[in-house]
Amino acid sequence: MSEPAKLDGTALMALPDSLLVYRPAPAGTAGIEPFVLLEESGRVYGFNGHVDLGTGVRTALAQIVAEELDVTLDRVTMILGDTARTPDQGPTIASETIQTSAVPLRAAAAQARGHLLAIAALRLGVGADSGRLTVEDGVICSGGDGRRLAYGELVRGRRERLILDVATPVKAPASYRLVGTSVPRVDLPAKVTGELIYVHDVRLPGMLHGRVVRPPYAGIDTGEFVGTSLIRVDRDSVAHLRSIVQVVSIGDFVGIVAEREEDAAAAVSALRVEWKAVPSLGSLDDLATALRANPSQPRRLQDKGDVERAFASAPTKMARTYLWPYQMHASIGPSCAVADWSDSAVRIWSGTQNPHLLRSDLALLLDIPPVRVDVIRMEASGCYGRNCADDVAADAALLSRAVGRPVRVQLTREQEHLWEPKGAAQLMEVKGALDEGGGAVSYDFHTRYPSNGARALALLLTGKVQPTPEVWQMGDRTSVSPYDLPNMRVTVHDMPPIVRASWLRGVSALPNTFAHESWIDEAAAMAGVDPVEYRLRYLHDSRGVAVIEATAERSGWKTHTVPGSLGGEGDVRCGKGFAYALYVHSKFPGSGAAWAAWVADVTVNVRTGAVNVRKVTVGHDAGLVINPDGLRHQIHGNVIQSTSRALKEQVRFEPTGVAVAEWGGYPIMGFPEVPEIEVVLVPRPQEPPRGVGESASVPSAAAIANAIYDATGVRFREPPFTPEKILAGLQAAGGGAAAALPAQGRTHKSFWAWLLALGAGATALLLAMRPWRAAIPPIPRPNPSVYSAATIERGRTLAALGDCAVCHTTPGGERNAGGRRFETPFGTVYSTNITPDVQTGIGGWSYPAFARAMRAGVGRDGRYLYPVFPYTDFSKASDADLQALYAYLMSVRPVHAAPRPNQLAFPFSLRPLMAVWNLLFHRPGEFHDDPRRSNEWNRGAYLVESLGHCAACHSPRNFLGAEEAGSRYLAGGRVDGWDAPALNGTGPGPLPWTAQEFYDYLREGRSLRHGAAGGPMAAVVQELRLVPESDIRAMAAYLASFAASAESPGRAAPLASQGAQGIAASAGARLYEGACAVCHDAPAEADRPDTVPLAVSSTVHAARPDNFILTVLDGFDSAHTDSEVMPPFRSSLSNTQLAELAAYSRGRFAPEAAPWKNLKKAAARLRLVPSVERTTP
Amino acid sequence: MRGSAQPVAIKLRVNGVAHVVSVDPQVPLLYVLRNDLSLNGPKYGCGLGQCGACTVLLDGRAVRSCCLKTGSVGERSVLTLEGLGTRAIPHALQAAFIAEQAGQCGYCINGMIMTALPLLLRNPGVDAAGIAAALRHNLCRCGAHVEIVRAIARAATGAANWLHV
Repeated sequence: MSEPAKLDGTALMALPDSLLVYRPAPAGTAGIEPFVLLEESGRVYGFNGHVDLGTGVRTALAQIVAEELDVTLDRVTMILGDTARTPDQGPTIASETIQTSAVPLRAAAAQARGHLLAIAALRLGVGADSGRLTVEDGVICSGGDGRRLAYGELVRGRRERLILDVATPVKAPASYRLVGTSVPRVDLPAKVTGELIYVHDVRLPGMLHGRVVRPPYAGIDTGEFVGTSLIRVDRDSVAHLRSIVQVVSIGDFVGIVAEREEDAAAAVSALRVEWKAVPSLGSLDDLATALRANPSQPRRLQDKGDVERAFASAPTKMARTYLWPYQMHASIGPSCAVADWSDSAVRIWSGTQNPHLLRSDLALLLDIPPVRVDVIRMEASGCYGRNCADDVAADAALLSRAVGRPVRVQLTREQEHLWEPKGAAQLMEVKGALDEGGGAVSYDFHTRYPSNGARALALLLTGKVQPTPEVWQMGDRTSVSPYDLPNMRVTVHDMPPIVRASWLRGVSALPNTFAHESWIDEAAAMAGVDPVEYRLRYLHDSRGVAVIEATAERSGWKTHTVPGSLGGEGDVRCGKGFAYALYVHSKFPGSGAAWAAWVADVTVNVRTGAVNVRKVTVGHDAGLVINPDGLRHQIHGNVIQSTSRALKEQVRFEPTGVAVAEWGGYPIMGFPEVPEIEVVLVPRPQEPPRGVGESASVPSAAAIANAIYDATGVRFREPPFTPEKILAGLQAAGGGAAAALPAQGRTHKSFWAWLLALGAGATALLLAMRPWRAAIPPIPRPNPSVYSAATIERGRTLAALGDCAVCHTTPGGERNAGGRRFETPFGTVYSTNITPDVQTGIGGWSYPAFARAMRAGVGRDGRYLYPVFPYTDFSKASDADLQALYAYLMSVRPVHAAPRPNQLAFPFSLRPLMAVWNLLFHRPGEFHDDPRRSNEWNRGAYLVESLGHCAACHSPRNFLGAEEAGSRYLAGGRVDGWDAPALNGTGPGPLPWTAQEFYDYLREGRSLRHGAAGGPMAAVVQELRLVPESDIRAMAAYLASFAASAESPGRAAPLASQGAQGIAASAGARLYEGACAVCHDAPAEADRPDTVPLAVSSTVHAARPDNFILTVLDGFDSAHTDSEVMPPFRSSLSNTQLAELAAYSRGRFAPEAAPWKNLKKAAARLRLVPSVERTTP
Repeated sequence: MRGSAQPVAIKLRVNGVAHVVSVDPQVPLLYVLRNDLSLNGPKYGCGLGQCGACTVLLDGRAVRSCCLKTGSVGERSVLTLEGLGTRAIPHALQAAFIAEQAGQCGYCINGMIMTALPLLLRNPGVDAAGIAAALRHNLCRCGAHVEIVRAIARAATGAANWLHV
């Protein structure tokens, strides 16, 4: 039998042996809209145009169908949102699914039942209305004689078709058996076992993987630059990725399609895309000013009495401004969609909230009629409004059309964060007044809400729709205060978007209510009246009153008129706050969903500013409740999410757009912060059901703000109530305690700049000399068989020790074939080919030529080599070792690769000048043992100082690039933009480097007391794997001998000094908690053997932030770890955020060290340092 | 992320079954589990190890498979949500999630269960505060936290009956 979940309306009509309740589709569209289908098997299908966004509404709808049809719940399957087979009931918004979109569904089920009873009555020869027929789980029983007819039998051989009659009488609530009882959600068993197919899990035969590359104007969708900023896409830049199928660009839409998902993902960062500069968005740091400056159209919604006169004459005037920030839907799963284009039609698997709207958008985008777009609605990550689900569906459609195969597009976390249409900011200004007796007499309310009609992004990026600002009338939700005062005026200032926005749970009602409920609380305090009592004076909605009274009573509300009545202990103050709302949604005047009231119990730490919402008592009147457990869970979800929004959430912006791209920058509430939640349900089973998807969120922020006031006596009118905002507020009010951040210092002039100047000055002297060296004649390539296997093997080990391949191999290139680029203060140098190729490598080099190069820095042809090649160290190598190394190099496969010419600034481009340099700085000579030291120490010293050439990176270099010696030997240098820390005992970090620590570091790539080998050192450790145990031990012993005699600043700092709480109240602290703590603060039992505690990390203790920031930018990926690698945060954190994170980490983990300065500038500089790519061994 | 420049044959033991996949060893295990082994339990949430949606067990230890290179799995056994139980026969912890109705959209649930499992194995007597602390870096946006903690506590109560399994 055909699966009804896959049939379209027409096919459903044609199904034999069935009953279908439907209505003809609206004019201009094809087919029919089904509501209820009954099959011969007795299986029932309900069809609804609204979808389940994770709320469990699928179960509640099934309950409604089962109830009206008198079948058990397990017989009912709900089909939600598919455009080919569900009625177009608009987007799943405004908590309307049960309240509104289930109305025809219920009628259809009742109609089906009535019809089946009528057929049965005919068959059984009884009157349908005689009351003799009853139904039990889809079986009709004749009371008189016990005859039974199952629904399925009644439709066998028939094709019953009923046109929906919404006026069909439905059951009286008193007779409900299933509706009103808690039933388990139908979707959870599959969800907890991994069996549910989310949109992310859809796989089609031949399906490809797509990713998109978004423009730099993150999260902005109006302005001439939208859709017109792409200059070029360099397709060659992803040619190295094996399975790329196509790079697609249309306007500013850029997408990549690959056979393998990891290739598509890699291409997002690898693809070189050139964009025009993005015009500055201006600062959104001052949101209130930005909202006032945004052009707007006033819309008067209420004007009662005379607010102007009342305000002017009132003795107590209370003008207050409340500001709501931009916030995010913040779905846990970045949006995903699968599209399958063929024959000018497209089928889309999508987690959209608005399948039918999406169909129209896709038709427009693809120039096909809507009937050729088939949207199959899949479960997805919860969205609480409109996230990027529609955007990614459009992306997938474009990519599938381009390649002619099914394409799955997965947005990245960063893209979802940056581009999801945000919940809009909002400015509420109240001019209210109280009379002599403290009575509220006037309330003039203005609200500014930037529009939220974000179109599917691809429409704008491809230029299909012009990115002109559209004004939607969306700021009016719950804009009328519930408190009935004699003079009231409501003005909504409709305005175009500022950044890309869409509706988010509670839409404009939540901020409007924040203002109403804060103001009334302020008025009560001003009047010296208990806040609950004061509200009840002005609320004339009996159901609202009942909810308020029930909630206050359950919460243990004690009448009070001044803050501080709950006291506190130490730095902690306790407070209780109240708020109430009837969520009025949809176009003004709109309609009400469920009633809700909150009592928030908070504590405020006046020293740290931390607000802890300990308990929320939340009252609800939702009329008839379909599934009480489902309602309770919706209330829990609303309470937790809205508490998170009130305490923590705010989108940050840079001049180019949205500037939060991961969870550290946009933290949401986690388990330890979740309040105790007590739900108070006011039972009204006789009243129609009211929407519950959002109502419990609406009073949240005001209740919390009012509780903070109760605790501290200070009003906060701008969520989120972050610790620093609370501290600032308390300080402004004359209390609290906070430490100001130290001022930032000035940077020094670049060391390299004056070095270059000096270098140029020295040139004249050098030019006076004309040194030259003779070429050594080339030889035929030596036959490696003349060397013993043991010698070659020894040479291989020495080559590893000397890291030859690290410098003489390009990332991804042939080993030892040269070409790696070195940026020096004197210009760019490329390493040479040291494979035994006669033309381009060293195949024509005799041993004397090789030895001369290693010891004297002169090539076979007599040309001087540059000391980027550390012959100053190699010169100490023994002859036996050099011979073994030569033997090994001659034994490997020759690679034909001509060396790239260097690009050195004059006069450094003149190689003969190196003779002078050598005269000044090169001290050739073999290594000599120190007889006072052990053999191991001497062996280590030899390896470190000769072939190991540690000093090449770890010693500072003088103004002409020579390694410094003496006390400056191994005193720390620079390489490839990284700090090479001092190895002479003066390096950073609170713990000394013992021989064991050095051994662990060189052998395993990390010391748990210092850190892991990152940056250029990672490749060195990789090479050292070939070096024998005894040599690693020897080098460790030698290096540790420096530490024994050195005195390092801060060395004695106690580890316990980490975790300073005073700096917890910062963006950096939140970034750390969201992005780093999961690994770096992992408890011991989490068993993360590879994670170095930051309190001992030399990176955090270093004088400069460079290695810290570079590590955060590019992550840490060691060949030695068998645990998770540290991911790169390059595309997730802005320079501002990198600076905040570095400052916090430094302050917390190296409190004894001087704060790093100029961090934002450092982040900008370090972002340009090329990523270190490990050379594949 | 690096692409599949150098695919090699890698042996994996997942949910008790041996597999050989041909991928670049650098590719995160999450991609291989989902795309090569068609396992849907672990979900892509952030790719940064922040949210926990991709959690799997590696020799009994909870790891974030978005940040674990396939090549570093080695001999260790991988357990995903699918390896616990099925709709027909759910694992006791999964059954506890159903009993407490612990989940809304459910996208995070894989991470919750796969993080809770080793927690209970380590500390069967864990209380609600201990559960909350252990799940501190597992993100849920729907606000199913209350039910999730209850579910894990319920499973802990009966843990003596299933821990040996």
